[in-house]
Amino acid sequence: MYAGFVALLATRDLTKRYGAHVTALDGLNLELEPGIIGLVGANGAGKSTLIKILLGLLPPTSGSATVLDLDVDRQGPELRQFVGYMPEHDCLPGDVSATEFVAHMAQVNGLPRSAARERTAETLRHVGLFEERYREIRGYSTGMKQRVKLAQALVHDPRVMFLDEPTNGLDPAGRDEMLDLVRRTGTEFGIAIVMASHLLGEIERVCEHLVVIDGGRLLRSAPIGDFTGQTQVLAVEVEGDAAVFSRRLEALGLRVKAEGRLILVGIQDGGVFDQIRDTAVDLGVGLVRLEQRRQNLEDLFRPAVEEGADAAAV
Amino acid sequence: MQPQSDATGSIYDLGYRRYDGVRLGRQHAVIALYLYTLRGAFGLGRRTSSKIIPVIITVIAFIPALVQLGIAAVASGVVEIFAPENYFGYVQVTVALFCAAVAPEIVGRDQRARTLSLYFSRALRRSDYAFAKLTAFTTALLLLTLAPQAVLFVGNTLATKDTGAFLRDNWSEVPRIVSSGLLIAALMASVSLAIACQTPRRSYATVAVIALFLVTTPLAAIFVRETGSWGHYAILLSPFDLLNGTTLAVFDIVPDPDTSLEIADLPAWLYPVVTAGYTIVGAGLVLRRYARIAA
Repeated sequence: MYAGFVALLATRDLTKRYGAHVTALDGLNLELEPGIIGLVGANGAGKSTLIKILLGLLPPTSGSATVLDLDVDRQGPELRQFVGYMPEHDCLPGDVSATEFVAHMAQVNGLPRSAARERTAETLRHVGLFEERYREIRGYSTGMKQRVKLAQALVHDPRVMFLDEPTNGLDPAGRDEMLDLVRRTGTEFGIAIVMASHLLGEIERVCEHLVVIDGGRLLRSAPIGDFTGQTQVLAVEVEGDAAVFSRRLEALGLRVKAEGRLILVGIQDGGVFDQIRDTAVDLGVGLVRLEQRRQNLEDLFRPAVEEGADAAAV
Repeated sequence: MQPQSDATGSIYDLGYRRYDGVRLGRQHAVIALYLYTLRGAFGLGRRTSSKIIPVIITVIAFIPALVQLGIAAVASGVVEIFAPENYFGYVQVTVALFCAAVAPEIVGRDQRARTLSLYFSRALRRSDYAFAKLTAFTTALLLLTLAPQAVLFVGNTLATKDTGAFLRDNWSEVPRIVSSGLLIAALMASVSLAIACQTPRRSYATVAVIALFLVTTPLAAIFVRETGSWGHYAILLSPFDLLNGTTLAVFDIVPDPDTSLEIADLPAWLYPVVTAGYTIVGAGLVLRRYARIAA
């Protein structure tokens, strides 16, 4: 699907300092395979700085980076023929039509004039702009502008697209459509996508791989499944006296904690499931739910201490 | 392409496809930006209101040429009011107005709309962007400095009874017309873009450009007339005087009596040299601005 390219991108000791005191990236080492990649981190974690360095918009203070095996600094123009970028901020002139602007942007990425025209029509249709594409951009709604921003990043058929907060300013319906568009573009057309967002729900819906940066350093890079994997905690819901049920489990030597209507039970070994079932039968209470808890992406951003305390408590 | 049926009925999916065609790279990108900027200078591809000012100003720059041709038609070439060597003097304010109106569009628009990050993340370098803007604006100005002269020359050629003789007598003027037109366009483009690109604010840029051209001329005149020999060099700070001096130097003609140029009495070769120098400095400032600007 991503034939011809081994690594999507790689950084080596990538550092970016602003002045003497602000360090946006701090010796970042990262290597990614093509796919739909989520880039998450708190505000100021270095997401946008990383994307801008990879696009050649910012020079790094030290270190190096390659995208599609091309050096972002030395082979910039050549590389960027195959790269699309949708910035977080407004970036569209108001006084031209979407058709005019997107076709121009395609040509600045090396497409011949006729091909640029043709692909502009196709791409604008793909992002869901139809007759309004001949009108001036200044009259567009936020949702339409976001679509034009996506179209200009896509019109030259890039190998990789960098999307910085693509759902910025959209209402819930617009958000859904944009995420669907991004996911389809990545899966159906095999374009690698790096999407920065601080909304974990969005990342979870679209991305296959997750890169977490914090304070300009790599916290973790792994398939999204690793982040939302099963935990060693069972959530149990019973119909009947939950307090009595909990006490009985504790008496069996299990670690138990109440959480609202749920009883959380630590899994010490496979016997736990049988013990819970037998206890329910003994007490004559109905077992409504018995499931192994999945980790939530939000857990990533919970302070480590609290997380540790949680696990110990259970 | 497969017919695709869905809730809204049978439609043809003409949507996204992969592109396997050629990618022409950096040079093509620069040419595309050059042509887009040149079209934009005259409001082409934009709404009607964007065309009005540049087109009207451009038409005004042609008026002396058309008047001269009208006179020539009536009085058969006896009276020559607008000649190649003094043409710029008559249209200098018009050309300056064009610079003030259009330069902020050429370089301010992408800063205002924050489109620079889209350009700089494409198949060109920052210096390529600056180069395309400079050459496009110079080309646009040639339409005001050179094209009217071409109309004048062709018109005069056609108006004479003996076309061959006219061409023989005046052929040597062609390289002078072209080189003076080029020098004027290059200097005015480079200097006005150097000023306009410093700010995304349209109004600031317009005022600054017009001030440079219009305020410096009377100031230079005061210095030249009221101070001693070193004050004469102040004339080099006035773009209009500098360009008129350059034109006279190119045509090898002495300035009219009692003009600032005549009183300053500087060597003729100095004017084209300083013009070239300003052009290079202006272009350098544009390149420097785009090397540093955040995108």
